[in-house]
Amino acid sequence: MKAPLSLHEGSFEYLLSQWGQRLSYPSDIVKINLRDTKFIDPFGMVGLIQFGRYLRLNGRNPFLLLPNSLDVLRYLDRMDFFKYVQNLFYLEPQDFTIEEKYLRRHHSDVLLEITSIENTDDVHIIVEKVRERAENILNIHLHYGPMEIDSFVVALSEICQNIPEHSKDMGFVGIQKYFYGKKLKKNVVKIAVMDLGIGIKESLSPKYASYASHWSDLTAIHLALFKGCSRYDDPGRGQGLTNVRKWVQKWNGKMVIRSGTAYTGLIPTWEFAPYKRSSLTFFPGTLVSLILPEKSL
Amino acid sequence: MKNKRIYQVAEFMARVLTNGSKNLVTRETGKVMREALEGRIQSEPQGTVVVLDFSNVGIIDFSCAEEVIAKMMARLIQREYGDKYILLTSLTPNQEENIHAALQTKRLLALSLKGAKKPKYLGVLNPYLMDTLQLILERKSITARELADLTQVEINTASTKLLNLHKARLVLRERMSLAEGGGRQYVYKSLLEI
Repeated sequence: MKAPLSLHEGSFEYLLSQWGQRLSYPSDIVKINLRDTKFIDPFGMVGLIQFGRYLRLNGRNPFLLLPNSLDVLRYLDRMDFFKYVQNLFYLEPQDFTIEEKYLRRHHSDVLLEITSIENTDDVHIIVEKVRERAENILNIHLHYGPMEIDSFVVALSEICQNIPEHSKDMGFVGIQKYFYGKKLKKNVVKIAVMDLGIGIKESLSPKYASYASHWSDLTAIHLALFKGCSRYDDPGRGQGLTNVRKWVQKWNGKMVIRSGTAYTGLIPTWEFAPYKRSSLTFFPGTLVSLILPEKSL
Repeated sequence: MKNKRIYQVAEFMARVLTNGSKNLVTRETGKVMREALEGRIQSEPQGTVVVLDFSNVGIIDFSCAEEVIAKMMARLIQREYGDKYILLTSLTPNQEENIHAALQTKRLLALSLKGAKKPKYLGVLNPYLMDTLQLILERKSITARELADLTQVEINTASTKLLNLHKARLVLRERMSLAEGGGRQYVYKSLLEI
């Protein structure tokens, strides 16, 4: 399977569709070729990690052919990508090294390295770490004031806590600042959060499946994101994701949720992408991507 | 006799949260905090006004706000803590925003104090009661007769409004004897006057 040159929230689907075509292959070896890949964002990274876990859980032996680009390797290292993939994939080459001088820089655009989420305490750690680093990235580069920084951290907390709360699995999160030169001429911050859990459809099924004329992943994501639906009866439940969506909308950001075989979300005017798709290759759990632009001065 | 107790929420957090967090995030954390606060509130004498002071508390996410504040306000109205009242203070704008959203989903209201300034309303209250609440906060106390005269409504209507505000735990109610001709009446007082 050949990864795209640029592996991000938009192109990760390409990798999954290749997997969909190979599902029936008898070989237990699955090779993901990143050799020519020149760019990988947090969604691409957590996606690869979760893809590796998924393949392992399905009895496959995944191989990761590492990028030829030293810049990409350095960046992956800075994001702690190797900390997680080395136990999931057979890496090729096995004995790659990144020169000492290229290791972690003091001035980095990394707001949060790839971090695992297994329980509530992990969410507290993530929140604390991002609050500490927010001044350097969110304030200086995105011009977020204290109120916006707090809202950003609240949004992050709400999305991350869905993993221990609903997914019945563990997940990963990563956050990075970029400059969107072509699309926006602005800095943006990208957040990716993923788990391989039960997914939104299964979570909502007991309460909503019988009411929907066509119960699908797309319907379930729509209910969770736009209608504040939750598997719980309490009217206060299910509002976390809805509030995140409102904040993203207010900030003219992008928010996409993929679960099962569908995705939907908020697509701002500066982005060219369909706001929903269904009948995609099945991938378990929930994948959330947020892109928040710099505040106009 | 009414009395006031100020709870430093940050101190409760230091005591009950084993992870040492300064942020009120996640529903699970909210549940632990709520149970700790409820235990203390229940032990207070009847008529106590509990002020939850959020000084030195980091962020409060929506889920935690819902689990702590919205659930406590709902139980307060159900009288699960007895004759008690709750006020909020020293909230940041973001904390207020999330608590407001959490209370809104349950159609509840709480008062947020800001020093000597007018309190802020977090959540929602039936519009027909809002004017009366504002009047009580301005005048500090009022009787049904005074409200009826001021707003040109029947005394029964005025009494019902005041009783509903009291049931929502947004005003205090004290019974007093009338000097002339005997009899008793209720005086409804602002929570801020304790």
